Amino acid sequence: MTTIDRMRNIGISAHIDSGKTTLTERILFYCKKIHKIHEVKGKDGVGATMDHMDLERERGITITSAATNVAWAGRSINLIDTPGHVDFTIEVERSLRVLDGAVLVLCAVGGVQSQTTTVDRQLRRYNVPRIAFVNKCDRVGANPFKVRDQLEEKLRHNAVLLQIPIGLEAGHRGVVDLVEMKALTFEGPDGEEVRAGEIPEELRPEARKRRDELLDAASLFSDELTEAILEDKVTPGLIRQAVRRGTIARKLTPVFLGSAYRNKGVQSLLDGIVGYLPHPGEVENEALDLEAGGAPIKLAADPSLPPVLLAFKLEDGPYGQLTYIRIYQGRIEKGTELRNTRSGRKIKVGRLIRMHADAMADIGEASAGDIAALFGVDCASGDTFCAPGLNLAMTSIYVPEPVISLAIKPVDKQSLGRLAKALNRFTKEDPTFRTHVDPESRETIIQGMGELHLDVYVERMKREYAAEVETGPPQVAYRESITARVDFDHVHKKQTGGAGQFGRVIGYIEPLAEGAYEFRNEVKGGRIPKDFIPSCDKGFRSVLRKGELIGFPVIGVRVVLTDGAYHEVDSSDAAFQAAAIGAFRQAYRRAKPQILEPVMKVSVEGPVDFAGAIFASINQRRGTIVSSVEDGAFTRVDAEVPLSEMFGYSNVLRSLTQGKAEFTMEFLKYGRVPAPVAEELARIAAAGKG
Amino acid sequence: MVKTALSKRSPLRILEEYTHGGPGAGATAVLASPKGVGKTACLVHIATEKLFQGKPVIHVSYASRVDHIITWYEDIFKGIARRRRLRNAPAVRDEIIRKRVIMNFKQDGMGTEQVLRSVEAMITFGKFPAETVIVDGYDFGLAASADLRKFKEFARRLGLEIWFSASLRETGRPLYEADGMPCVLADHRDALDLVITLHARGDHVELRVVKDNDHPAAGVLPLKLDPKTLLIA
Repeated sequence: MTTIDRMRNIGISAHIDSGKTTLTERILFYCKKIHKIHEVKGKDGVGATMDHMDLERERGITITSAATNVAWAGRSINLIDTPGHVDFTIEVERSLRVLDGAVLVLCAVGGVQSQTTTVDRQLRRYNVPRIAFVNKCDRVGANPFKVRDQLEEKLRHNAVLLQIPIGLEAGHRGVVDLVEMKALTFEGPDGEEVRAGEIPEELRPEARKRRDELLDAASLFSDELTEAILEDKVTPGLIRQAVRRGTIARKLTPVFLGSAYRNKGVQSLLDGIVGYLPHPGEVENEALDLEAGGAPIKLAADPSLPPVLLAFKLEDGPYGQLTYIRIYQGRIEKGTELRNTRSGRKIKVGRLIRMHADAMADIGEASAGDIAALFGVDCASGDTFCAPGLNLAMTSIYVPEPVISLAIKPVDKQSLGRLAKALNRFTKEDPTFRTHVDPESRETIIQGMGELHLDVYVERMKREYAAEVETGPPQVAYRESITARVDFDHVHKKQTGGAGQFGRVIGYIEPLAEGAYEFRNEVKGGRIPKDFIPSCDKGFRSVLRKGELIGFPVIGVRVVLTDGAYHEVDSSDAAFQAAAIGAFRQAYRRAKPQILEPVMKVSVEGPVDFAGAIFASINQRRGTIVSSVEDGAFTRVDAEVPLSEMFGYSNVLRSLTQGKAEFTMEFLKYGRVPAPVAEELARIAAAGKG
Repeated sequence: MVKTALSKRSPLRILEEYTHGGPGAGATAVLASPKGVGKTACLVHIATEKLFQGKPVIHVSYASRVDHIITWYEDIFKGIARRRRLRNAPAVRDEIIRKRVIMNFKQDGMGTEQVLRSVEAMITFGKFPAETVIVDGYDFGLAASADLRKFKEFARRLGLEIWFSASLRETGRPLYEADGMPCVLADHRDALDLVITLHARGDHVELRVVKDNDHPAAGVLPLKLDPKTLLIA
């Protein structure tokens, strides 16, 4: 069994097209997990092993977060493939949760790009230590020194080169290792032979200069190294120890370089991963203790404690459902009893396996720090499993409300059945992806966190489930809400022969700062019998589903029931539901209702010359500019913009800036719709009804 | 409006009373002190008072990170809201925040002209009708007198009131000239309309007007900065 100090859980994060998939592919190859190298967009049509889905291959992006185990230098490395797009927030964050360290891949030509900033920010949020790999040193215009500067200036990393290139662009042959002061070249047909030699004469002055910079930066983390520098007794071991400390403390980012495509520098990056990134025992992890109202509680990566694990990814394989788990505490083996914190259901561990990208191996047990996969467990991704008796959750149970929806229609009967299967799977995998059938139009509606988010699922329906669908135009998920406290007193009475209906409800509705709906029962003395209180709650819930302004759900409402009346014979569940519905309708208009819309946090980045165009484009979209940051060449504008104004923004931005600016966006909050827009929405809603 | 009533007795009004209406449109003002005395708090307080009056502010920062500046505004706002017992604080906050833009620059990386070009782009293309520009973290030690004249000219052309902070570094030599003018600002005297210095005095910080256009300077103001709340009163 692997001891904890020999494990690494690593993610590879990058801007699209930085060569992440190729790099992963080479790592698998050099770690002897695959026997042949495939190119991402290669001639052999096989594609890189880590890319599970055709779609990802086509778009050059990676969405799934499969975990692959490899071995390097006696260490067991779990590679977690992290999705790079912000539209997949939940998925990104869930995979970041299980990382202990990350490789930030940068393109030697493009440097720090907007997506790099996004993934770096996410890694920072989860306190993930990073090392950088400047890839594509063989490309025309490659300049790893500039990329290092950008890491410092744009991402505020204390970035320090551990290597310098031997030749760039077409002449890129290898790297100079500044720790050992050796030239490394990568020979053999697939670069599998690493040869260490003398540093070429012409590179020596640069190597000495950069090594001095490395020593300067590293010595801050080690008194021994500082002393050794003064006494001129520096050893590679001392440098490594200092760099490791700085990296794990997230105060230093070692920079490696090479070209994965040309098989240069990957092995030394692997040495860097095992050498400088932390093992699971060096990382603090917290769970939420649901017994203590969700208070954070520290977990210890100790196999002898009761097990706590997180299901971070579900996958449909040829042999059934596979659940990827990260074990935070304790150990599990076949037969271990666990409890799903969310559902309360108990399971017994059956087959336990470790995954390579396309093959799997049975393992007898797994312990704290490790990543493995379970067979035949029914759960959703994001679920926590604990030893019975514990009630811990690894992730917040809070899931953001979807902000955009799309009507989809299967093109034929066959697709209808397949679609149901696909939707069932997707909603389990991703809690921000939801689906329902609109009771009026009878259309199937899918909802998610952004345009691209839904696009990808529509594509997956086609490719993985052969479900062909037609889609309607994207629809913003508006909400309605109230702004004033209003009393209600409503009697529901019906006497048309036979059993009558009677129910009276008295109370008030008021704005609720957090959450969608809260029901409070303050009825005393049985003025409404206990049995009918849930009926009232149910009635309010049902009427909230569709607001009167534009027909969208009403959120942010607290209903307080204070009094009422009933009839021995005529009162019933249905009567009190109807009374509640009537009461709310009566009160709603007086409660100064308003329309809310999703507001996105938008970040635009481009050359300074286009700052004016970017400002104008935000202003025209009812956006509020929060800040702009300029560093001489580039400007980044952070703004808050209503989602409804963002459709088609990528095209607009492209033409405004000659394709030189990029943007990212994520959901921020629900904001009030200004009066003219609200009137227009109400007009459209009314026209739709008529 | 609530907001107007609130700003009537604001420290900014007192400042304006003692400085012939404050710097005003087209003018430049400086708050100067050694590090850690409370310049940024004062600047952010002035900006927040302007926001309370419904006047848009551009906060140009040469030093701090954007999130740090936002935190400053949050803290100062909370302090003011508490002191004035604002009832609908979150709503007021949301409203005034829309009138503030933060622009972050690196002084060594870019010239004054580029900075002013971007600020102007924000006002014209971004349709952001700023009246006040706060310039925080500008290094007067590095500034040529031509740079300050560009700011002054910019203020005049666009009708802006520009407030700077100036950090006075201990160098072993005296910090102030005989008339109280900080030495580092002496060369820029002509380009600055209003100069106020901050002095730590035990439990409070004193504000002193050392230049007020062509008027005689008022000297020590009846305003104090409380180092605990970082508010002026």
